[in-house]
Amino acid sequence: MAGINAEASWFCCGNAWGPCGSTGHGACGTCNSGNFQHAWPNTSDACYAITHPDTCGITGMTRRTCGFKHATTNRCNGKRVVTSIADCGPQTDLFCGERACCGGTCASNRVIDLTPAAFSTIASLSAGLIPASIDVG
Amino acid sequence: MSTTMDRRSLLSRAALGATGLVAATAMGSLAPETAFAAAAQYPDAGQPDPNFAEGLITGRNQDLLQVKGSDGRMHRIQLTGVTSVWKLRPTTIDQARIGDGLYARGVKLPDGILAAEAVWINIVNLTVSITSIARSGMGFDHHGQKIVGHVQPATTAAVYNGTPAVSDMSMVKVGRHAQVIGAWRPGTNEIDIATIYTSN
Repeated sequence: MAGINAEASWFCCGNAWGPCGSTGHGACGTCNSGNFQHAWPNTSDACYAITHPDTCGITGMTRRTCGFKHATTNRCNGKRVVTSIADCGPQTDLFCGERACCGGTCASNRVIDLTPAAFSTIASLSAGLIPASIDVG
Repeated sequence: MSTTMDRRSLLSRAALGATGLVAATAMGSLAPETAFAAAAQYPDAGQPDPNFAEGLITGRNQDLLQVKGSDGRMHRIQLTGVTSVWKLRPTTIDQARIGDGLYARGVKLPDGILAAEAVWINIVNLTVSITSIARSGMGFDHHGQKIVGHVQPATTAAVYNGTPAVSDMSMVKVGRHAQVIGAWRPGTNEIDIATIYTSN
């Protein structure tokens, strides 16, 4: 898979507090906020039918299943984290065309959600959304 | 103090009481946006990170937090003069209260205490549908769960399709999807909104 420039965010999974308390362990059954994991929009036909990255013009997104590793690099600071797939998501089609920028560096469309443990190694959780490049880990 | 000391060493020494806020100043900014930059050994993909903790604060002894992880594990988290703290906005360590939820990143010391570099208190990141808008807040549907979002003057900001954050909420529309960074009000289904990302 060639690297993708896209938006990255974070999500909670597994046992959690507050509004996250109703989340489970994700489509793979292994997801935990404290693990180095992520959600990917094309883990199965059923997953793709929910996330529909093609709606945003993202074609040819490779199907990757539970446990596959991706590397996410924060394009604002160059920091990189390697994580494995634990869930289906994000719901790319809800935010088609949206951009995340820092300075003059921007990326469009949501392609990956990291767990808080992973996201917090490359950005502050309060940043929420960052431009990133995603490669095979 | 040597200015070549890395943040990891600084944190360890801060937790041991060998240094403090003066050291933080010498190291430069420790705002939430930069505090995560410490050098650290990261775990393999898929594995838990020992330098990260989450859970609810169950006790506080000065600046040492007792935290019960959502998985039942107990954590001891040391706040120091160099810990960056976010609770709806960047704030100070005294704002960590019993009952709050948190995520913390830092350095695990040999005695099991996590010397916190950054703590995000009550932070949530929710993908929602906007169901109602009122003067002081809005209603959200979060995967079937109703959430009340409070707008906080001088804090709450909106980002419309990647534009710079603005305080003007007038283009937030019912029926639109949004992502909300906010601070949970413990024990409730309510949050204070820090940033709402939506289309216009």
